[in-house]
Amino acid sequence: MPIPRWTALAVTGLLALAIAGTPAAAQKSGGTLVQITQPEPPNLAPYISTSAPIGQVTAKVYDGLLEYGFDLKPKPSLAESWEVAPDGKTVTFHLRKDVKFHDGKPFTSADVAFTIMEVLKKVHPRGISTFRDVAAVETPDDYTAVFKLSNAAPYMLAALSGYESPMLPKHVFSQGDIKSHPNANSPIGTGPFKFVEWRRGELVRLDKNPDYWRKGLPYLDRIVVRFINDEATRTAALEKGEAHVAGFGAVPYSDAKKLAQLPSIEVTTKGYEMISPVVELLINTKKPGLDNQKVRQAIAYAIDRQFVIDNIWFGYGKPATGPISSNFAPSGIYTADVTKYQTPDGIEKANKLLDEAGFPRKDGGVRFEIVHDITPYGPEWQRFGEVVQQQLAKIGIKASLRYEDVATWLKRVYSDYDFFLTSNFLYNLPDPVIGVHRAIHGKLIKQGTVFVNGAQWSDAKADQLMDKATIEPDPNKRAEYYQEVQKIVVDGSPIVWVFELNFPTIVNKRYHDVVTSPLGIYTNFATAWRE
Amino acid sequence: MSSARLLRYVVRRLAQAIPVILGVVVLNFLLLQLAPGDAATVLAGEAGGAPAEYVDALRQRFGLDKPVPVQLALYVKNILALDLGYSFRNQSPVLPLILARLSATLLLMGTTLVLSLGIGVLLGLLAAVWVRTWKDHLISVAAIIAYAMPLFWIGLMLILLFAIKLDWLPTSGMEDAAAFYEGGERVLDIARHLILPAITLSLFYMALYARLMRATMLEQRGLDYVTTARAKGLTERQITLRHVLRNALMPVLTVAGVQVGSLLGGSVVVESVFAWPGLGQLAFQSLFARDLNLLLGIFFISSCLVVLINIVVDVAYVLLDPRVRVG
Repeated sequence: MPIPRWTALAVTGLLALAIAGTPAAAQKSGGTLVQITQPEPPNLAPYISTSAPIGQVTAKVYDGLLEYGFDLKPKPSLAESWEVAPDGKTVTFHLRKDVKFHDGKPFTSADVAFTIMEVLKKVHPRGISTFRDVAAVETPDDYTAVFKLSNAAPYMLAALSGYESPMLPKHVFSQGDIKSHPNANSPIGTGPFKFVEWRRGELVRLDKNPDYWRKGLPYLDRIVVRFINDEATRTAALEKGEAHVAGFGAVPYSDAKKLAQLPSIEVTTKGYEMISPVVELLINTKKPGLDNQKVRQAIAYAIDRQFVIDNIWFGYGKPATGPISSNFAPSGIYTADVTKYQTPDGIEKANKLLDEAGFPRKDGGVRFEIVHDITPYGPEWQRFGEVVQQQLAKIGIKASLRYEDVATWLKRVYSDYDFFLTSNFLYNLPDPVIGVHRAIHGKLIKQGTVFVNGAQWSDAKADQLMDKATIEPDPNKRAEYYQEVQKIVVDGSPIVWVFELNFPTIVNKRYHDVVTSPLGIYTNFATAWRE
Repeated sequence: MSSARLLRYVVRRLAQAIPVILGVVVLNFLLLQLAPGDAATVLAGEAGGAPAEYVDALRQRFGLDKPVPVQLALYVKNILALDLGYSFRNQSPVLPLILARLSATLLLMGTTLVLSLGIGVLLGLLAAVWVRTWKDHLISVAAIIAYAMPLFWIGLMLILLFAIKLDWLPTSGMEDAAAFYEGGERVLDIARHLILPAITLSLFYMALYARLMRATMLEQRGLDYVTTARAKGLTERQITLRHVLRNALMPVLTVAGVQVGSLLGGSVVVESVFAWPGLGQLAFQSLFARDLNLLLGIFFISSCLVVLINIVVDVAYVLLDPRVRVG
């Protein structure tokens, strides 16, 4: 007997409600999501390179031991539970038993031990420091991995996402040299999407993994990551609906504002809470004049942070107070209780400081001249350079601008120390040990190493506090140490922390649940679905 | 002209090309050494910073710790064995990287060459036939406008008009990224994606050829052999098509041969605007990444291409003009 149409509809509706659990529309399977990633990644080997675009692709293929919520707390992923010993020196992970790599082989604790000890600790640019204190990973059985540490490493639990520490198949990557492995560009992971092909200069195709360990996921059949070199064309492709997701400044900030007004597009600034980019002016504290704390403070007072945010970054930012982003406020690590450089009378204060420092105004009101280097990352940085030039002129510092390509600029700033003042931006990443120490710790004044302490400034007390925080298992004590560090460093002013950059992520409204974690498009999109 | 002689000529030209290409390789290598910064710094920079031991290990792996003459000697030795080396940045040998992009570039260049030569010659011919009428003026003005507009701007305007406003054509790429068509459908899809970039890149050259063609046509028409032909009683149509056109084509062909090199350069812009996965973009990216193996490989392949096309043009002379001899 045929079931009456309305009954079928009602039953389907009830089922949908039951499955969804929330009043939102039911998730549907199927469809292709096109993501724009800019620039094209140089390779697909996130275990050896942390070049920004790589993770946007490979986080869909590789899982990590953990995932993270918007509160920055770890959640189960490949590890379904974990325990940290009171002294912090033993961390035990209990692994899921139903996980298979894309080639069908099971995922076990041997893969964890191999990935951490043989790969990340040896060749991953950040893993070398993150896992420095991991002495061994013991594997009492196939589904238990015990990390033995020589010191507590509280930051490590924040660095185990599929983006930061991807879990690799030992049976594949232990064959041959890890540094030039044939699977560098054809990743095999446990994630919700399988790598299919990479057409250079064009796209990467990832297809649904039907055997994904989270049953019923992913919803999408396919993710295609497209590479479009021209920013105006990227905007056009999103506007036309040929592409559906783009983040990390892939779209010019002015265009993001324009796209946000289209009915088909949503722009969000969520999904960067574990990345926390901070825009700064890096000062070479070894240059005569700039070695004077008062001069550096004067520069910090002269920069109108809100003006820069509103007029150059189209509002996508928030004034920064120091080296640590306010995204760390929930854990108490962040404090705004430091020397405040963003004040209405900043210019007067700056002029006064420069007078005190012994740099009187000479002919034409100029105190001294410097060259201001501009981070070679695009037009908004050039505008920023022009604003800095104008604002420095107000306090009698005459700055001429220099714009070079990335390789030249890196060499000038971090190898030759041949600069006065340069714009820059650094990620705080999931923990200050990983993202913040490098710029301000005395140990990290390393000539020739990029994105470390290029200011060449340090303070013995701050260094000591950072060293203590590195191995302190008690979160409250860590927070105290870092609050103290911020006070010291902001007062020393080796860097002008200008603003916390809130990247806009463009999402086509037909796609839902795309940005679901503080790592944004550095996550796997398992729960993203299309209407 | 015997075909054996033509063949001998081609073989000799090819042999002569080898030292030329080697010279280009050595010169490029030395010029690139002048660029400050190296691949290891850029890789570490892209990674947002890395410990010094990591950067040193990179340099050692890339062979960047060796003195420049040693690096050069090694490179030339490998080139002679047709080994273009390994791109550490791309974690892949150089040759397959280039070959994967070559077909897209050849498709775009070939279409552009045919379009711009075909339409350019036709427009130049018509302008010369209609000389000093409003039609001639129209063609000349249009040519100057096309010649003067920047490529990237034309490209963006075409995208805005045909992709966004009219919704007739895709904005960018070489294929529909969501569809993955096969067979005949794929060919049609690629053709649809080819239209805008090919037109954009063609406009400039089309204008150039049209103006050149018009000028040489007019020059040829005043020469004695045309008077002779007219005295013989040939119609204007016969004179134009059989005599003047063939002679007027020679300079256009010469310029087209030389322009192939710059076509590669112009395609960087067009490939970038339309996200066309060709060699130009690859060259651009590898320059900024200081990926010298890859960049030198691209230079090597494109210099081979330019040399080859010029040989083809020289052979075309012979076929067009029986007075030109090889030897």
